[in-house]
Amino acid sequence: MTHISCRGVTVKFGGIVACSELALSVEEGKIYGLIGPNGAGKTTLFNVLSRFQNCDSGSVYYRGQCIDRKRPHEMVRLGISRTFQNINLFSEQSTLDNILVGAHRLAGNPFANIFALPSVRKTQRALLSRAHDVAELLRLENHLDIPVRNLPYGHQKRVELARALASEPEVILLDEPVAGCNSQEVAELKDFVRMINRELGITVLLVEHDMSMVMEVCDYIYVINFGSNLAEGTPAEISRDPKVITAYLGEEE
Amino acid sequence: MSENVGRGAQRHPPGPSQVGPIVSADLLRKRAAIAVLQASFRKQNMILVGLLFLTAAVAPALPFVEDWMATQASLVIIYILAAQGVSILTGQTGLVTVGHGGFLAIGAYTSALLAKYFAVDLSVGLVSGGIAAGLIGCVLGLVFLRLAGAFMAIGTLGFAFFVGTIVNNVPIFEGRDGIQLPHSRMFGMRLGDFGFYYVSLATLGLTTIFVYTLLRSPVGRAFRALRDSEKAAESSGVNRLFYRTLAFTISAFLTGAAGVLNANITGYVSAETYGDIWYSVDFLVATVVGGSSALMGPFVGGAFIVMVPFYLEQLADFAFILKGVVLILVLQFAPAGVCDLIARPLREQRQKQLRRIQDDAEKSPPATLAAFISRGGQ
Repeated sequence: MTHISCRGVTVKFGGIVACSELALSVEEGKIYGLIGPNGAGKTTLFNVLSRFQNCDSGSVYYRGQCIDRKRPHEMVRLGISRTFQNINLFSEQSTLDNILVGAHRLAGNPFANIFALPSVRKTQRALLSRAHDVAELLRLENHLDIPVRNLPYGHQKRVELARALASEPEVILLDEPVAGCNSQEVAELKDFVRMINRELGITVLLVEHDMSMVMEVCDYIYVINFGSNLAEGTPAEISRDPKVITAYLGEEE
Repeated sequence: MSENVGRGAQRHPPGPSQVGPIVSADLLRKRAAIAVLQASFRKQNMILVGLLFLTAAVAPALPFVEDWMATQASLVIIYILAAQGVSILTGQTGLVTVGHGGFLAIGAYTSALLAKYFAVDLSVGLVSGGIAAGLIGCVLGLVFLRLAGAFMAIGTLGFAFFVGTIVNNVPIFEGRDGIQLPHSRMFGMRLGDFGFYYVSLATLGLTTIFVYTLLRSPVGRAFRALRDSEKAAESSGVNRLFYRTLAFTISAFLTGAAGVLNANITGYVSAETYGDIWYSVDFLVATVVGGSSALMGPFVGGAFIVMVPFYLEQLADFAFILKGVVLILVLQFAPAGVCDLIARPLREQRQKQLRRIQDDAEKSPPATLAAFISRGGQ
């Protein structure tokens, strides 16, 4: 079943065409990679998919339904959640609070919550144990009460992953999950991403510059360059593709 | 490395993605221990606040208490109430407001007009003044939806001036001549100075419980999420439009209720006091001095704003200067507020306790919980 797909996505910033006629399709239960040289339009496409960016033409579909008019906060309710390239957390708040915000869509009626009516007590408890579950899954259970700004970089990346996971998504969009991490943190995050996919059955689409991550983790890769689709295929196919090699390394003289 | 990941994890059937029961025994046990400790912290907090209110409730019976103290204490309570409103918007949601004097005026005038023309009870006045301010707050929240930071401060300042102009010039508000309120009655009873004090105290008690519940709920978390990162909040499913407007509404409601009490304590409202922006500035200062994100911040800040000029009456305008100096000192040395400064040792001690529990939990797993787990965690 196709989870998320887009067709003919074009985004212009003034005279600059960030994406032109981009198309991709993400099937349920796999890990997808989106790669391309700097400035290829990967993050723009990501923002289009998560509805943080409107496209000038083209459409985005989720389970066959057009979601062009959805607003960013509605995406989580559909089952799509995302992380950001530069860590985007509630930095003054504790790890637990960050994860709890991620679980916001499970919180129930806000007015019942304001007055802590009996109808939401159970939900509030469930929310808390859900947050603990996710924290323990990503081995953050010893950092729950620490403000995330005091955590090491790799942990912050994990908190962001945890926040995205807390909403019980079906698809998770990871924007450069290992950018800026050291090799040990990269190894950990690789395992976490695999686990999210294998154990929890969540479809993953990730943008990444770290080729070892992309080649080892992804089942299928889309390559874009100058805002257009360049190639797609399995990691083995992509690493042999002359067009991709040219895009990354330049033409042979 | 990889065999370590998700230790204790159970493979899930394909289909809807649920994290489900993935926790191992020692983790669950640790979780339970932490929950117990945190519940005891909450209890301690509640006892502290309860004692504070109890002291305030029995204080009038003390021998050295005089009538003027009741009025002064009521004034402190009014400022606390207004500062609670400001702290929800500025401290929690991160929208700096320099216009809450406008909501105070709306509450005060609603109460004054209702009392003058319909002789309504103070109980009705409190609710309707709060609701009137809340409604305007809701509209203002929608109008200011795209403002942030300094622009929000300027926008709300404009709102305070707008309200000032209205009460100065629209005939029904009687401009600088002002409106005289009939003597305040609560549930039909004439209120003396102490009666009014108890009404204020009871109102503050209710709002404090309300604010406490609100801040601990997912709604409070959504407010703080919007404060710290709108992008991250929205990607977590927080509806920015809804929660911003809600914060504005609740904040305006609380300050509006303070306005009702403020009109009734003096028995008089006029454009001279409510047309000015000094109230707005005072509330913001109270919020900043007390600490904008703490529940008790408004208490410290409200007392500060009322009591400093009171004790420094002889110094006349010098009191204003002192206020400014203290504000600068607070911003310099306790940017999270005086309340945070006081509470820090307590918080650090509690964090240590939490840490100890976590470390202990890793060492020795007790049998009872293992049995609990072996039953399938039921």
